Amino acid sequence: MNEEKNEHRWGMAIDLDRCTGCQACVVACHAENNLPLSDPESAAKGRTFHWIRVDRYYEGEFPDIRVKYMPVLCQQCDEAPCEPVCPVYATYKNAEGLNVQVYNRCVGTRYCANNCPYSVRFFNWFDPVWPEPLGLQHNPDVSIRMSGVMEKCTFCIQRIKRAKEEARQEDRGLVDGDVQPACVQSCPAEAMVFGDLNDPESKVSQLAKSGRSTRLLEELGTKPKVFYLQRAK
Amino acid sequence: MDRRNFFKIVSAASASVATAGCGRKSDKLIPLLVPEREIVPGEEQWHPSVCSECGGGCGTIVRIMEGERTIERNGEKFRERIACIKKIEGNPLDPVSGGRLCARGHAALQSLYNPDRLHGPLRRTGDRGKGEFTAMSWEEGIGAVADKLVKIRSSDPRKILFLTNPQPGTRVLSIERFLKALGAPPALTCSIDSFAIERKAAELVFGWKGLPRYDLGQARYALGVGADFLGGWASPVYYARQFGYFRQGRPGIRGTLVQAESRMSITAASADEWLPVYPGFEPHLLIVIARLLMDEKLVRNEGQLSGPEAESILKADMRKLVRVSGIDEGRLRRVARELGESEAPLVIAGASIIHTNSLETLIAAHYVNFLLGNIGKPGGVLPPDPEPSDRSQTGNIVEALKRAQILLLDAENPVYSLPRSSGVSEALANIETIVSFGTFINDSAAHADIILPDHHSLESAAAVVPSVSPRPAITVGMPFVQPLYNTRAVEQTLADIARKMNVAFEPATPKNYVDPLLAGQRWDDVARQGGLWLDSKEQVAPAKWGGEQLSWSDPVLAGATERFPLRFQPYLSLQYHDGCGANLPWMQELPDPVSSSMWDIPLEIDPKTAAKLNIATGDWVRVESEDGTLEVFAYVHPAALPGVLSMAIGEGHTHYGRYASGRGSNPLSILAPVWENSTGALAFGATRVRVTRLERKPGELIQFSPRDREQGPWGYR
Repeated sequence: MNEEKNEHRWGMAIDLDRCTGCQACVVACHAENNLPLSDPESAAKGRTFHWIRVDRYYEGEFPDIRVKYMPVLCQQCDEAPCEPVCPVYATYKNAEGLNVQVYNRCVGTRYCANNCPYSVRFFNWFDPVWPEPLGLQHNPDVSIRMSGVMEKCTFCIQRIKRAKEEARQEDRGLVDGDVQPACVQSCPAEAMVFGDLNDPESKVSQLAKSGRSTRLLEELGTKPKVFYLQRAK
Repeated sequence: MDRRNFFKIVSAASASVATAGCGRKSDKLIPLLVPEREIVPGEEQWHPSVCSECGGGCGTIVRIMEGERTIERNGEKFRERIACIKKIEGNPLDPVSGGRLCARGHAALQSLYNPDRLHGPLRRTGDRGKGEFTAMSWEEGIGAVADKLVKIRSSDPRKILFLTNPQPGTRVLSIERFLKALGAPPALTCSIDSFAIERKAAELVFGWKGLPRYDLGQARYALGVGADFLGGWASPVYYARQFGYFRQGRPGIRGTLVQAESRMSITAASADEWLPVYPGFEPHLLIVIARLLMDEKLVRNEGQLSGPEAESILKADMRKLVRVSGIDEGRLRRVARELGESEAPLVIAGASIIHTNSLETLIAAHYVNFLLGNIGKPGGVLPPDPEPSDRSQTGNIVEALKRAQILLLDAENPVYSLPRSSGVSEALANIETIVSFGTFINDSAAHADIILPDHHSLESAAAVVPSVSPRPAITVGMPFVQPLYNTRAVEQTLADIARKMNVAFEPATPKNYVDPLLAGQRWDDVARQGGLWLDSKEQVAPAKWGGEQLSWSDPVLAGATERFPLRFQPYLSLQYHDGCGANLPWMQELPDPVSSSMWDIPLEIDPKTAAKLNIATGDWVRVESEDGTLEVFAYVHPAALPGVLSMAIGEGHTHYGRYASGRGSNPLSILAPVWENSTGALAFGATRVRVTRLERKPGELIQFSPRDREQGPWGYR
């Protein structure tokens, strides 16, 4: 791990001018990351899991009204408000700038979720249940979280690892585009771009420099690594 | 999975799979399976397949890894290692999906591993519609169906009715051959996503067979009319890819989209400007646009101006047309000017919500495109490639049901997709025998006498023709996982029935479907890549208007205005599409893009009407038409047209597994039996309703993000 320190700094750019609000990213994430299924009862209590969601905003009055969609996921903040409040270091920043969650360290204080300004952390109040044979779909690369554990978007860390392994087998370094989290991979409008912010040539670094680039609730000083490119015009 | 990696995989791992059984005739319907010994724990394999969630026909690739299931043998439970599908992604080689996929495409996995899938053939035990069945053997089931068919065939083969989905491909072709062998009439479709009107208009105006392809990616200024092309229309993934490119794919060029639609769909939300056209007055709006183009001298195809069509437009009462469209004249003038002045203008029209005059919308839109001179040009309206086999037709389904003595149901759900007032249930009750090939017991299969369940599409071989593709394409999927249950592909079942009846019948297979079109390519490569994609042949686009008359009649509406003052428009949602996605838990818990509701989609009502009727978000309301009533939660939508109620199609199944049965209401059920004349499609935007708030509430509207979340404090959870 140490030799790779600071080699990568993963970030994402989301172009809201391309985003159609189709929610392909939301379902792709469920399929990739073994998210627990909700049911109407738990959903009514606000216990549905969506590591990425599409927020909607209304602007203006009918007939000059506009609706805007914005995919929101863990912003992988450099100054993450969730980290300092964890008493057991279950959530911390790894060498590649990912805000990671160590499930078997988590004791379920839920302080991190309370402190997250983006509401992207989800707590397992119960063990997840998949009526047979729905569980056959589970991705073996991602562990199933049990009750008492907090979870959130990982930037598909399993895909980062797989891409690194493949590159190592081919005796080469990672190239831009090798790593694609499930949401980015699925996006039909190609609104989402993932890559290494340490590489100034990477697509995500270029987009982050765009004049349309903003970050969500930047004024809080969280320094998110997700860049939103605002709609043009 | 990117293109480079997928090439690597198709060239190595699946080579043996693709060649294993395609060459030998006897293997035609025997799946090419991944043998258990080839599954290494932790190692993934990728195989190409076809998405069957809508007619888009996206090519997909699926990820296979090891899994374990429990089976019961002689009362004892065993754990069995099998190859499981873990994820579906778009096939990077496929020109339609380009490696991308929509929400429903991902969720197809949950219909494969759905706990409510049928495990084998069933015979009805309870009353029709109750959904009570008992298991039987395949021999029994096939024998029973063959006996019935022999009898009916000898008396009157016209009394055999087959309903299937419309998409051309091996399934529809096999059914066509089967029916021909029996001397029965061709199969029909009652699907509400067949986009028959769009096809009809293209045929009338251009003589094209198929859906025109709108080259959005190369356009500069697009006006969408009535087509929710990013959500519930013909090919959402293809058009979303085009849209992304249209907006930000070309350096220095950003396309502008203006969307005229009677509902704030995701397409309207993504547009730069929304024109809230009154439902059913899309033709009027287009005629106004045509006239403004003429007035402003922005017509590029001057030749068009001398015809009778141009004269009819010049004679029209513009003031009235503008008024009924519900849009400010100044805005229309500006949009027409911007459209006319654009370097690459395009009008994309469709009938996402069908009205009695939808054909007029389509024809008028083609005419405007003619005036703009973009037919057959990059950034314009492009001809579809010819489809190698026929699609099943829409038609008067209820009449056909009334005549039928035996009904064979494949992937269609007439009880759900047709309104109660059409008499579909009564017609079904009078049919002597109903056979379903579905993988689930749905609203219609609950009426069946015999169910001979199909494999899931991920377990079977198929070749389908995508509804829209930039190149001539046939998407091919070969099976690679063991069928989970004692099911049989419909093609196989039909072959078994035909054998029993002593009728000569050869089902279509992907290989013999693709064979005549190979043009130098090898079948092995086609199977390995997941499709046959040919180079586009130069398609000739007509330079002159064919003489089709323009008209702009008012939509026919059912229900007296005084008693039923509100318009009602059911729509195809991105979660449930025509209703078939409702049994997938991922779709049920996907927050609705409008209301953020989960496990049910509420009725959209505008703030003024809501205030008048004392209705607030989360209230339980009754919607009444002349032909029926339903109850649903209300959502006060700031972007709903005044007096127009919208409701997603999808919920309200009587039978459709644990996730959908008895949940919510079906907006189609209360519609009046009004049909679009040229195609016989249900005009599902043609019913007037009234709405009242009810005191008693069965529960609460479940929302993922209630509105106050965006305005008020964070972290409500």
